[in-house]
Amino acid sequence: MRLKSLIKTEKSFVTQVIIVFIILALIPVISHGEFFVSTLCLSVIWAIMGIGWNVIGGYAGQVSNGHAMYFAIGAYVGALGLKWFNMTPWVTMWVGVIISMALAFLIGYPLLRLRGHYFAIATMAIVECVRIICTNWDLIGGATGVSFFQRGANPLYTLQFENRIPFYFICLAFMLVFVIVSRVIQRSKFGYYCRAINANQDSAESAGVNSTFYKRWAYMISAAIVSIGGALYAQYIQYIDPVSLLPLSNSMLIVLVVVMGGIGTIWGPILGAFIMTFINQYARALFNQLSGLNLFIYGVLCLLIVLFIPNGLISIFTSGKLTRLFKKNKSAAKEVN
Amino acid sequence: MFAQVLYEGLTMGTIYALLAMGIALVWGVMNILSFSQGEFMMVAMYITFFINAALGWDPLAAMPIVIVAMFLFGLLIYRTIIAKALKGPILGQRLVTFALGMVLSNGMILIAGGQTKSIAEKIISGNIALGGITISKEKMVLVVTSLVVTGLLFWFMNRTKMGKAIRATSQDKEAAGLVGINTQTAYMIAFGISAAIAGAGGCAMTYYYYFTPSIGTNFMIFGFIAVCLGGFGSIGGAFIGGMIMGLIDLFTGTYLSVSFKYMAVSIVFLLIVTFKPKGLFGR
Repeated sequence: MRLKSLIKTEKSFVTQVIIVFIILALIPVISHGEFFVSTLCLSVIWAIMGIGWNVIGGYAGQVSNGHAMYFAIGAYVGALGLKWFNMTPWVTMWVGVIISMALAFLIGYPLLRLRGHYFAIATMAIVECVRIICTNWDLIGGATGVSFFQRGANPLYTLQFENRIPFYFICLAFMLVFVIVSRVIQRSKFGYYCRAINANQDSAESAGVNSTFYKRWAYMISAAIVSIGGALYAQYIQYIDPVSLLPLSNSMLIVLVVVMGGIGTIWGPILGAFIMTFINQYARALFNQLSGLNLFIYGVLCLLIVLFIPNGLISIFTSGKLTRLFKKNKSAAKEVN
Repeated sequence: MFAQVLYEGLTMGTIYALLAMGIALVWGVMNILSFSQGEFMMVAMYITFFINAALGWDPLAAMPIVIVAMFLFGLLIYRTIIAKALKGPILGQRLVTFALGMVLSNGMILIAGGQTKSIAEKIISGNIALGGITISKEKMVLVVTSLVVTGLLFWFMNRTKMGKAIRATSQDKEAAGLVGINTQTAYMIAFGISAAIAGAGGCAMTYYYYFTPSIGTNFMIFGFIAVCLGGFGSIGGAFIGGMIMGLIDLFTGTYLSVSFKYMAVSIVFLLIVTFKPKGLFGR
């Protein structure tokens, strides 16, 4: 009975989930070029990271510029687990999650007291430390990184597929789980406290919200989700090194993806991740003669979107003319925000 | 040895200080964490390089032109991008400057290629031996530029009408508007000056350093840390923060390990922020 009433109150969300995931699952059936499918995989991985960042950055309003660290932890643990102990990523990704959450717990204590730009800069400084450690620690590959392609193993065990389509569905399943997690957080008391802290930390505290506690939990959950994204990314790319995992731009791109899609919304990070990954990948493939042009275009687009659609691309769907066209779905669209 | 390292640290500190003061000005006045400051410096380096390649002018001779060009460039960026971003959310403002940095550095790769560049012929070169210290004349150019720019900036902010207007705007925008200050102009000039500081710094840095289009990103985080060490976007604080960072950088680099010197800077910063969340001199 309880499930029934839950589905009833969450009717619009359930409809959205079903529609979105049916479309996403059908895309590779219609078009299954190798490059296209691998771009899809990458989009889903970025979407997972976006959902993760959204918990701390969107709901709790603490703009971390250092989530590449958790991304790298997930990737390194998955990669080294497979290379050293031949452990399946299905297990090691949870080890990565535990490490990420423990680290988030520890550094959350001093960092989350900082406000505004200070928090952002401190998270950047921590990533810088992690990058230097990874570059100089030869045991985990040092600057050259780790490559761990396993031939002949069962792809379901190593998560390394010849054909990307099964991997895409696995990523999609993870995304589904995290979309639901994101919704649960949004609707729960925890989510309301987070948003109260986001709106005004001092008034939230005076109303009895233990801001340190909730911010810390939001930070840990967010680190865990991003870490899973990192584990999937490692199996996707099959080669990791500090230069590609831990530059400042990676941390910033996670933020950009969320903000361009729509910060603090459920579907925003996913929309942002898909659009930006596709633009980036195809621009890179198209202009591979002219180095720099793809990121130039990407930068110009980011600039335009952030300037002219400050609420993110999702706001095109949730407000203005489009909703008037689909008046029936108006209430559903409002739910998204 | 110790005196040499101390000297080199102070030299390095002046570079950090130049970067940090530009960031602090924008931060203090319009509360934007400017990710594009490093790229402005990079653009200034390339303007110097192009002037040098086309006309054969020494960077020192080109410096006034570069500063004016960067000032105008800053005004243009403010007019076209920042003014609009200021109406939006704070996170958007930060991301706009990040995207701008991406556009600038990749645009420069398109124009000038990704190779490392440097300026071959310089008027001032060579070393002076002074007691136990060797002083590189090229680095001296950097130090002198930094000190002159700092002096001029302090004079401007404290003695001129425009500087006072900018400070008033940064303290309270609405009150400043009420007493007849054109806050939009104050913002614009502040942003232009911040770009001009990057111009002077970038131009002077070509005297000693090699540069690539991606050089700005490497600097940026240390500029931020220097500003934070000083505390809330104060220019004097940024200068001192830059000096402290230069000293930490050189001392850990010399006596501990070169590869971990940036980590030392970050850790010192994190420790300070843990115990003093508003920076060393923040109120």
